[in-house]
Amino acid sequence: MSKGYTLNELLIITCAKEIKDYENVILGVGLPTTAGALAKALYAPHATLMMESGIIDFEPLIPLNHIADAHSCRGFSCATDLFTAFTMTYRGFVDVCFLGVGQIDKYGNLNTTCIGDYYKPTLRLPGSGGAADFISYAKRTVLTLRGGEFVEKLDYFTSPGYLDGGDSRDRSGLFPKGSGPAMLLTTKGVFRFDDETKELYLAQIHPGVTVEDIKKEIPWDLKVSPDIEETIPPSDREIDFVRRFAPTESVGRALTMELSIKATLNRSVGNGK
Amino acid sequence: MANNNENKVMSAGEAISRFVTDGDELIIGNYTVGTCIELVYEICRQKKKGFTLYSQSGILDVDILINAGCVDRLVTTYTLRSGGKKGGGALERALQAGTVEIEDYTNYNYNARLVAGMHGFSFMQVFEGIMVTDLFKKRSFMGEDKYRVITCPYTGKNVVTVPAANPDVCIVHVPRADKYGNAQYWGSMGSVAAAALCSKKIIVSCEEIVEHDVIQSSPHFTIIPAYRVNAVVEVPWGAHPTEVLGYYNRDRSFYGMFMAANASAEGAKKWMDEWVFGCEDRKAYLEHYIERFGMAPLNKIRARAFYSAPANYGSAFTSVWDETGREQTMGITLDEMETILKERGLLYE
Repeated sequence: MSKGYTLNELLIITCAKEIKDYENVILGVGLPTTAGALAKALYAPHATLMMESGIIDFEPLIPLNHIADAHSCRGFSCATDLFTAFTMTYRGFVDVCFLGVGQIDKYGNLNTTCIGDYYKPTLRLPGSGGAADFISYAKRTVLTLRGGEFVEKLDYFTSPGYLDGGDSRDRSGLFPKGSGPAMLLTTKGVFRFDDETKELYLAQIHPGVTVEDIKKEIPWDLKVSPDIEETIPPSDREIDFVRRFAPTESVGRALTMELSIKATLNRSVGNGK
Repeated sequence: MANNNENKVMSAGEAISRFVTDGDELIIGNYTVGTCIELVYEICRQKKKGFTLYSQSGILDVDILINAGCVDRLVTTYTLRSGGKKGGGALERALQAGTVEIEDYTNYNYNARLVAGMHGFSFMQVFEGIMVTDLFKKRSFMGEDKYRVITCPYTGKNVVTVPAANPDVCIVHVPRADKYGNAQYWGSMGSVAAAALCSKKIIVSCEEIVEHDVIQSSPHFTIIPAYRVNAVVEVPWGAHPTEVLGYYNRDRSFYGMFMAANASAEGAKKWMDEWVFGCEDRKAYLEHYIERFGMAPLNKIRARAFYSAPANYGSAFTSVWDETGREQTMGITLDEMETILKERGLLYE
């Protein structure tokens, strides 16, 4: 029996297990950077961690603030540029990349551009950044969804998953054979993509969540694996690593904010203001 | 203006007024980190307008320029929003009001336009997968010219291309430069060099101006050579509240203040009035900051040193003449050489 863990810790550790030793890994900011640091420390010592800004083989000291955050690294082995980071992906040198999700459809196509009409959006999301390029040409892609949603039809098609499902991605001839999203991690469970239909299905469920909870958020009849399992609880070693490396991620955004305001007030009192 | 090797040091005010014109294609040279914030503020203060703005990864830069009414059109891949469903920001408000038009690219597609431009090509090949996305299908002011598909003359396959970008002027912040404009940059390289080198004019701001000797002994850090540069502006803390490697980290709480203010039009206006229009230059901005928050937040984010190992640029000889004054290959002195040349009748006299 391991010690208690937070939901964020479970997500980070589940994500980290997607990285195998000796892989070349493109990380995104937030959960994936911490997952990358954890994987490198515990399971994949020979993995090469990379950011699209051109930071190659970096050693993070603290969680990175953004994709160009060399301030948070104790050095890195190669400083290339963004153009080269993408051409090396196109040439097949990236094994796995991590992307966040705004909207996702049943075949793992993504929208991170806007909600509503593109030209007069209800919400303007950040945009593609590197997402469309990476999910197109990395050998596989791990998706994380926290504030996003499942939809029948994307408001804007930013990044290609399995297109219309089946073999449509491979048949298009536009992408490396076998590439595409491998897994979707949400706060409630883990989804994978059916080998034949390429439709996403529920593969694992986090502790305390029911299949019904998950189905409520999905506008189509979600397929559920017959061998569905509960997400494996993290070990003490994994929990300790995350807690020391990224305590604010263990704690989560809302509680971090609450505590940081309290700390600021305490400092002001201490300064006699 | 020819880019002679002359002293190009001037104030931000002079650089922007001389080299930035209403209606320009203006490109932000920095990518996500160490952004040229003081040059952005100065453009706002001078009320320049009508820009087609290029920013690969818009952080404060895009929203501040939009808040100031400087931008008509935006070419980007990513623009940070102020957070959450309620967040939004200046870009979202401008799109909803129809005051800014946008073209969205991916990071690679945008960068490919700069790389084509920097090398003098008219277009660049991009990855074909983009054709299935709305980035390819939905177009705004660039129309057909956002992407065009051609046949590769070698393989016969369809090749997607983007047109070269050659913006009128690039504004870019770097850690250090010399007075001639040799600009050095290290850390996260992003698309900084391409953004500067594809542009017709380049304004460099830097944390510090260093001696030309420093540049000459570390040329691997130089991303923009002096002959391309029009103006050099020395402006310590010139990227605040963003970060410059080796100088200072991001000012997270001040950055957070901007993001919170920028979530509403009223908040954004108040913030712009206080921090952009209310401070005549970076010195005034820093004085205002210190007055409001003291020195402590700035001291806390000053970088500690983690020096790059020096590269040895040395060689065996610094002269063809040895310590006795003899030329190393021929074994003779300069006087002896001249005598021989004369004796052999090889001199025109």
